[in-house]
Amino acid sequence: MAPDLENSEILPEKKALISKKIDSFFTDIYNVYKFIALFFKELFSRPFEWKEVINQCYQVGYKSLALVSLTGFITGVVFTKQSRPSLSTFGASSWLPSLVSIAIIRALAPLVTALIAAGKVGSNMGAELGSMKVTEQIDAMEVSATNPFKFLVVTRILAITFMMPVLILYTGFIGMMGSYLNVHANELTSLTAYFKSAFATISFLDIFSSIFKATMYGFTIGVAGCYQGYHAQNGTQGVGKAANTAVVLSMFLIFVEELVIVQVVNAIR
Amino acid sequence: MKTLKNNRPVTVGIFIFLGLVILVVTIFTLGGQKKTFVKSVTINAVFNDVGGLLKGGNIWFSGVKVGTVKDIKFYGSSQVQVIMNIEKDALPHIKKDAKAKIGSDGLIGNKIVIIYGGDSTTKAAEKDDFLTVEKAVTTEDMLATLQANNKNLLEITNNFKSISKKIDSGKGTLSTLLNDPAIADKLRTTVDDLRATVANFKSASVNSKNVLSNFQDFSGKLNKPGNSINDIVSDTIVYANVKETMQQLQNAANSVSQFTANLKTVSDKLNQKDNTVGVLLNDPDAAASLKVTLNNLESGSKKLDDDLEALQHNFLLKGFFKKKEKAKADSLSNVKPN
Repeated sequence: MAPDLENSEILPEKKALISKKIDSFFTDIYNVYKFIALFFKELFSRPFEWKEVINQCYQVGYKSLALVSLTGFITGVVFTKQSRPSLSTFGASSWLPSLVSIAIIRALAPLVTALIAAGKVGSNMGAELGSMKVTEQIDAMEVSATNPFKFLVVTRILAITFMMPVLILYTGFIGMMGSYLNVHANELTSLTAYFKSAFATISFLDIFSSIFKATMYGFTIGVAGCYQGYHAQNGTQGVGKAANTAVVLSMFLIFVEELVIVQVVNAIR
Repeated sequence: MKTLKNNRPVTVGIFIFLGLVILVVTIFTLGGQKKTFVKSVTINAVFNDVGGLLKGGNIWFSGVKVGTVKDIKFYGSSQVQVIMNIEKDALPHIKKDAKAKIGSDGLIGNKIVIIYGGDSTTKAAEKDDFLTVEKAVTTEDMLATLQANNKNLLEITNNFKSISKKIDSGKGTLSTLLNDPAIADKLRTTVDDLRATVANFKSASVNSKNVLSNFQDFSGKLNKPGNSINDIVSDTIVYANVKETMQQLQNAANSVSQFTANLKTVSDKLNQKDNTVGVLLNDPDAAASLKVTLNNLESGSKKLDDDLEALQHNFLLKGFFKKKEKAKADSLSNVKPN
C-alpha cells in the first residue's frame, strides 16, 4: 500500500540539483503534497475506519479537554488582568469584556488551543507513528492486508481536524468565564451585562473565521505529526526527531496560517 | 478495558454535543444581540459626510438600538447614502419627519446613526423612506472652535498685558483713577449722590406704586355696577338716553349755527346803505337831516305846549278844566276819613 511514498525515500540519494539542503526542502514540499493528496484519496475511498476515527477523537479531543480548559481559563484571567491597567488609564474599564471577547474569540482561543494541541497531539502522533515505523509495525500491517495509511494517518488527521473546532469552542467559553470571574471580582459586573458587552463587538464572521482557523490548524497539526512520524528513520533517535519536528513545524505553520487568515478575514470584514 | 473502549463513542459524542451546544448558544446570543433574526425594514438617509461610519454600525432611536447599517454607498456627486435595517417593531415610532445624524457611542466609540425628533401627529416612516439629515457637531468642529477660542484668549491676554503695563507705569485715565486720591474722594461723593438718587428713585417708585394702587381702586370702582360712570359705560338705556341727548345737543348746535349765520346776514345788511336801517346807521347825510328834523320837532312841541296852555285859559274850554279839578278834589276828600 502507498507505494508512491516509498519513492520519496530514494529521492535524496540522487545527485543534488541545486544543493543537497535546498533539494531536500523542495523534495519535502513535494512529499507533503503527495502525502496530502493521498490522504484525500484514502479519505473518500472505502472502507471507512469509523471506529478508529472515534477512538482518535477520544484521544485527541476528549483527553485534551482538561489541559485546554485550564489553559483557556488562565488565558482569560491573565489577559483581563493585564488589560485592565491600560483601559483604566482612559477610564474605560467597562470595555474589558469587549476587549477580552475580541481577543479570545478572534485570536487567543484558536491559537492557544492549536499550540497546546500541537504540543500534545502533534508530538504524540509523530512519536507514535515514528515508533511504529522504526519498529516496522507499519510494514507488518501492509503484509496483513491492512491499509496502514488509512488506518493510522487518515483517522488521526480526520480526528484532529474535526476535534479542533470543538476544542476551541470549549477554550473560548472557559476563557470568557475566566475573564468574567476576574471582571466580576473587580468591577462587580453581572453575568448578563458582561456577555451583553462582550458580544456587542463580536460578529458571526469572527466566530466562523475562528472555527475555520481551528479546522485548518487541526489539519496542519495532523498532517505535520503524521508525516513526520510516518517518515521517521534511524531508529529511536528518528522517533524523537519526528516528534520534535512535528511540534516545531506545526507551531510554525500555525503562526503562518494565522497571519494569512487574519489578512483574508480583514479583507472580507 | 473492553467496557472503556465501548464507552468511547458515547464520551466523544457527549464531548462533541457539548461543543455544538456552546456554538449554537453563541450563535443565538450573538444573533439575538445583533437582531439578526428579527424582521427588519430598510430606510435611508443621505449624508454629506458619514465620518467613518461602518457597515453593521448601530442605529439608535431615543437611546435604544433599533437596527444596524445595512449598506453605505455613494449618492449623487459626493454624498453618501446610508441604508439602515430598522426593526419592524420600532418602525411605527419613527415618524416621517424624524431626523438622522451621525454620532458615536462614547467619546472615542464607534460611529452610529442617531434618529431623533419627529412630530407625534405625523405618519410613521415606511419602507425605503428617506429621513431628513442634520449635520452633527464632529470632534473636528469642536477642536476648530476650541482653536478659535484659544486665539481669542491669546489676543485678550496680550491686551490685558499691555493694559496692565500702562497702568503700572502710570499712563492713562485708569492709572490716574487708581492712583489719584482726589479722584477717589470725588468718586466717593458721586457714589453718595448716587445712593441718595437711588433713595429718591425708591421713594418715587413707592409713590408711583401708590398712585397706581389708587388708580387701580378707581378703575375697580368704575367696574363696580351702581355708580353713574359704570352705568354710562355699562347700562344700555342710559347710553341710549345720552345718545339721544347728544343728538338734541347736536340739533341745538345746528340751530345756533343757523341763527348765527342769520345774524351775520343781518349785520352785513346793516353795514350796507341799500336798506332803511343801514341808511340810518351808515349815511351821515341822513343822520344830519334826521337831526334837523328832531330839532324842528322839539321846537314845534314847545310851541304846541304854549298853544295848549293858552287854550286852557280860553273861555270856551275854561269850564271843562274847572269841572275836572273839582272832581279830583272830591275824590281826595272821600279818601280822607279812612
